[in-house]
Amino acid sequence: MARATLGQDPPPFFRQGPSAFSRLLVFSALSLLVMVADARFQVMQPLRAALSVLLYPVQWLAMRPLIVVRETQSALGAVADNEAERQALRQQLSAQTQRANRAEQLLLENRRLRDLLALQQRLERPALAAQVLYDAADPYSRKVILDKGEVQGLRLGSPVVDELGVLGQVTRLFPMLSEVTLVTNRDHAIPVLNVRTGARGVAYGDTSNHADALELRYTAANADVAVGDLLTTSGVDGIYPPGLPVARIEKVERRTDAVFARIYCVPLALVAGASQVLVLEPVGVNAPDRPAAQAEPKPVRNGGRR
Amino acid sequence: MIMRPGQRLLMPVNPGFVWASLVASLLLTMVANMVLWGRAAWAPDLLSIVLVFWTVHQTRRVGMAAAFVAGLLVDVHHGGLLGQHALAYTVLSYLAIMVHRRLRWFAVVDQALQVFPLFVLAHGVEVLLSLLVGGGLPGWWALLAPVIEALLWPLVNLLLLAPQRRAPDPDENRPL
Repeated sequence: MARATLGQDPPPFFRQGPSAFSRLLVFSALSLLVMVADARFQVMQPLRAALSVLLYPVQWLAMRPLIVVRETQSALGAVADNEAERQALRQQLSAQTQRANRAEQLLLENRRLRDLLALQQRLERPALAAQVLYDAADPYSRKVILDKGEVQGLRLGSPVVDELGVLGQVTRLFPMLSEVTLVTNRDHAIPVLNVRTGARGVAYGDTSNHADALELRYTAANADVAVGDLLTTSGVDGIYPPGLPVARIEKVERRTDAVFARIYCVPLALVAGASQVLVLEPVGVNAPDRPAAQAEPKPVRNGGRR
Repeated sequence: MIMRPGQRLLMPVNPGFVWASLVASLLLTMVANMVLWGRAAWAPDLLSIVLVFWTVHQTRRVGMAAAFVAGLLVDVHHGGLLGQHALAYTVLSYLAIMVHRRLRWFAVVDQALQVFPLFVLAHGVEVLLSLLVGGGLPGWWALLAPVIEALLWPLVNLLLLAPQRRAPDPDENRPL
C-alpha cells in the first residue's frame, strides 16, 4: 500500500482546524477560567482595562445620540416648566438660607470648640463633578457608569453623591470611565445612623422585594425604629463622610418569630435617574494609618548576662 | 453547491462588511441600552443575532474565537462578571455551527423558529451563571428577550444579505 494513503494529515481542502466540539471545550474552559479569576481572585483588572480602552471608541460613538436626546429634553423641559422650577428653587433657597446662616454660626462655634479640644480639623473634602453616562445593562446588578476615570484623578472606593443623598461608591476604575455600585446593589452595604434615635446600623441594597430599595439589617425586633426616620451615613466605615443623607424608612415589619425586624428603606438619591453627581474623596485617605502590629519582643534569655 | 429550491445565488461576502456589521450591532445595542430602555430584562441582544447569522452564513470566517472576544467586550461594557457573556456566546456559536448546514435549507421564517432555541439556551447560560455567582433572577420579562431576537431574525437576514444580493453586472435598470 502506498505510504501517502496512510498519512494522518487530511488534504488541505478538508483541513478545518480543530473540531467544533474541541473548540467549544477550549473556549468554555477559557471563559470559566476568566470568570473564576475575576470573581475569586480579582486579577482580571488589567484585561478589563485593556478591553475597556478597546471598547471606548464604540462607547464614545454610542453616547452621541444619548447626549443629543438629553440636550433636546433639557431644552424642551426648560421652556415647559421653567416657571414652576423657579418657584420651587426660590422656596428651597429661602429655606436653605436660614439653614446656611445657622450653619455659619454653628461652624464658627464648632471650630472654636474643636480648637479648644485640639481635635484634628476636619478637612474640606475635594470633590469632582461627574456625569452619569448610562446604567450598566446587566439586569442583575445596580451599577452606573460615570464619564470620569483614572485620568481625571478618580480613586477607587470614592463615595458618590447627588444633590439629594448618597448614590453609591466607585468600585471599578477605567482610564476614561468609572463604575459606580449603587446603594441599592445587592452586594453593597453602607453604615448608617438613625438621625432621630442616634442608633447605628448597616443598610444593604435590596433589589428582590422592592425595585431599588434598601434594607436595614440586624436591627433588633424591639428597636426604636419608625416609618419616616432619616438615615444618614455614620462615618464609621472610613469611606463615607458622616452626615450624608442615605435613605428614609418606608416600612417596618416586626415578627414575633424573628430576632431582627425587617426594615425597608427608600434611597433619597435618584438611583434610577441621576445625571449630575459629585465624587468625594474617601474619608480614610486623610485618616492616620492603622498602627502596625507590635513586633514581638525578643525573649530575654536567662543567663545571657555574665 | 446544492441549494434550496428558489434560493438565490449570492455574491461573495465582503469580510470588512462582516466585521463592521458586528461592531455596528454592538453599537446599536449600546445606544438602545443608553437611550431607549436602560437595563430592561427583555432587551434583545442584537450582537448575538448578528453573531449567529454570520456563524451560520460564514462559518469559516466568524467562529467561536470571535464569539468569545465579543462576549468579553460585552462583559466589560456591562460591568458584570468577566466571562459570563463570553461563555454564553461561545455556546451560542457552537450551536450555530452545529445547525448551520441544516438551517440554510429552510425558508427565512422557518429559520427563525429554528434559531429560537439557540437564543433561549444562550440566555439560559447567562441566567445560570448569574445565579451561580449569587445574583438574582432577572424576572419573567427576561423570557421575552429570545422571542424578540428570533422575531428579528428575518429582518437581520434581509439587511445583512442585501450587499450580497446585488446584481453582479449593475446597469441602468439595476443600479444596485
